[in-house]
Amino acid sequence: MKRWDLIVVGMGLAGLTAARTAAGMGAKVLIIGRGMGSVALFGNSVDVLGEVKPGTDMAESIGAWIAARPEHPYARTGWKVIAAALDEFRALFPPPYSFETAGAGNSLVPTGAGTLRPTYLLPATMAAGAAMTREETLIVGLRGFKDFQGDTVSLHLGCRGTAVSLPRYGLEGLTAQGIARLMDEESFRDGLGEAIRGQMAGERFIGLPAVLGLKDPAGALKGLEALTGARVFEIPMLPPSIPGVRIFHRFREDLIARGATFLMGNPATGVSIKDGRCEGIAVHNPPLKTEYRADQYILAAGRFLGGGLQADMERIAEPLFDLPVFQPGERGEWFGERFFQPEAHPIHSAGIVTDADLRPVDERGKVVLANVRAAGTILAHHQAVEEKAREGIAIATGYLAAKRALTQ
Amino acid sequence: MTQENDKRIFPRTFPDVCVRCATCMAACPVSRVTPRFPGPKQAGPGAQRFRSAAEASVDDWIELCTSCRLCDTVCPAGVPISDLNLAAKAKFLDERGRTLRDWFLVRSDLFGELASRYAGKVNRLLENRVFRRLLDALFGIDRRRDLPAYETPTFREWFGARPATEDGRPRIGYFHGCFTNTNETDVGKAAVALLEAHGFSVVVPPQRCCGIPRLGVGDLRGAREMGKRNIGLLLPTVREGTDIVFTSTSCGLMLRHEYGRLLELPGAGEIAERLFDLCDFLLGLHREGKAAARFRPLPMKAAYFAPCHLRPLGIGLPALELLRLVPDLDVRLVETECCGLAGLYGFRKEKYDIAEEIGRDLAAEIARMKPELVLTECEGCRMQLRRLTGLTVLHPVQLLRNVLEDHGDFPRAEELPIPQLDLQPPGTHPLQ
Repeated sequence: MKRWDLIVVGMGLAGLTAARTAAGMGAKVLIIGRGMGSVALFGNSVDVLGEVKPGTDMAESIGAWIAARPEHPYARTGWKVIAAALDEFRALFPPPYSFETAGAGNSLVPTGAGTLRPTYLLPATMAAGAAMTREETLIVGLRGFKDFQGDTVSLHLGCRGTAVSLPRYGLEGLTAQGIARLMDEESFRDGLGEAIRGQMAGERFIGLPAVLGLKDPAGALKGLEALTGARVFEIPMLPPSIPGVRIFHRFREDLIARGATFLMGNPATGVSIKDGRCEGIAVHNPPLKTEYRADQYILAAGRFLGGGLQADMERIAEPLFDLPVFQPGERGEWFGERFFQPEAHPIHSAGIVTDADLRPVDERGKVVLANVRAAGTILAHHQAVEEKAREGIAIATGYLAAKRALTQ
Repeated sequence: MTQENDKRIFPRTFPDVCVRCATCMAACPVSRVTPRFPGPKQAGPGAQRFRSAAEASVDDWIELCTSCRLCDTVCPAGVPISDLNLAAKAKFLDERGRTLRDWFLVRSDLFGELASRYAGKVNRLLENRVFRRLLDALFGIDRRRDLPAYETPTFREWFGARPATEDGRPRIGYFHGCFTNTNETDVGKAAVALLEAHGFSVVVPPQRCCGIPRLGVGDLRGAREMGKRNIGLLLPTVREGTDIVFTSTSCGLMLRHEYGRLLELPGAGEIAERLFDLCDFLLGLHREGKAAARFRPLPMKAAYFAPCHLRPLGIGLPALELLRLVPDLDVRLVETECCGLAGLYGFRKEKYDIAEEIGRDLAAEIARMKPELVLTECEGCRMQLRRLTGLTVLHPVQLLRNVLEDHGDFPRAEELPIPQLDLQPPGTHPLQ
């Protein structure tokens, strides 16, 4: 029977942050994920709260917003914890591939749909996107690469657009991963840089799909900027996200170096409960079932995509611990009129309700399991996507859950 | 109270669990290097939606899947991607027919012991340029690929010639696998030394090839046959309450999981319950404070590479954790996935370039790390890593044996050969 200080279920940004925070405090950590977390799908920059206007100080503005939403996960953390957690996140990414804000607040950066969206922390490869102007920017697509439609992006942004062939003939049809891997090579990115330079007409900014390398994105950025004489930025695109994969790999590398045990690929399928405490979690790798035990547990399994929540025709359930789940009325009330509507669908507020310590509570506010906490998007009463708060919620609650679990 | 929720509730051929999120596309080593393979999302659940048992297979790229299983480990929805690929590969090859080369390659267990007996002659032949040209031209075994040399005596012969050690110590079984038996006997000797140093009496039950090479050519019937035989051979050992350990992660994955999960063989679960990765087994002893052996300091810089087939075993990185118990050893994980060789895959002429291109990433990463030594559990990875890096590449148990405090007749740590790092510069892209 193996024993850990903390077991984290879920490998998205919340689970990774919780595990990393605990490992940083010297705890023996086991992290279980049925697959690679959603950060590899959607991770790019770090959103904290989209509503805060660019040019406005996040620290000053977020307080009032949180105060008006006492049930929101941010009400559990407050700005102080968010800021401390973001500092921990940033410490994982030392320069040159660091995450910074542009000023004290949000900045607007281009997306793969050709829109501008507000975000808080930008990786070094996206920083120039916050400074671009439509007159001075060239959007560059890669011929044969389907996941980034440069024409659409440039049309919507109102910039000039072009497409270049990959430096080595015959590689068209490669995936984002395939191109990113070649971008780690100086000769390849030099070839791409030359091709881009041939298309330029005095632009000062170049926007490219987010494929600037897996191992050395800052080197790729520097090389391309030297060749083109312009500031280069990555534009987030369809999953999987190369910048997100970089985040995942950096967390994994750090966790393994700190002695954490990383179990990816099989689901946590069962728990042992005794006297209001979790005693163990079973992982099913057919034909074997293995139980892992720890003093503390953090559930960061995400919502519906990662399987942290499951819905049937009547109710929404949390399948691992069978925790009480807040759900907005009956199924007929879960969705708005239109699929693409600006407001959040009511179902987006579903999730686990917790006490101030992030321990799940029942309808009467009573703690369900003394040594289990929830973190990330599985928490109730947020609309992470519409609020543009996804990474902020994951990082802040993951950090707080680990701190509380270990200082109990 | 125990609550259950299993992600694998669907039949294995059901593709609609896939939401096409594309996480697998971030993990596949083949689609990373060539557009000729459409990647796990499309090759597995995507194409499955268009397949029909009644119609002939058109998946002429399905053979490019290496069965590394990395896609399975990253999928957040539990789609059995590699199973879908395997079933499609089996159908494609059943219809098209398998080559004589593949018939021969997946049965290397049948002539391995014979080759060991005449190792001197066989090895000279394997290095003979004319013979290699013939193998290349007639059978499509790429002549640029080093063929592993055979050793005399085999591991089993060496083990059988040792004096019996029935002395009341707890017994432990060892599954050595074909490669250890005939091509890298030192891995087996190291396993025996480590287990004995930890207070066990080692038994080597009769065993056959685990059958994983046959899965590689979609020969499910052949793999099942090998599985049945091995289960019959291993059951007596586990039924007397003896655990069995393995040193090859691919054999281990086949025995511990695929016999039960994929091939659904009777008795597979009973074996799996008592089957352990050797490093995981030893790590458990050290963690529980029950380890009788201690390791001497080894001031060296080593890179540890985690083989693909270690990952679906779901045991983390026990070799890395165990190696960290060696004082002064600076051991770091290689942050790159898949060596490209994929067992027999990289020996095949038509796949040689893909294997090399995948391997190039690994070579570049190890060049960045500048280790003196590389460690990995998989025999295929070791072959590929030796070629890619020119460094000494060992199984972790070989290093651990060498630093045992009481190392008996085994070579001392200082005797480990450490050649210089010699990397080939990347040439032009071979996959155009």
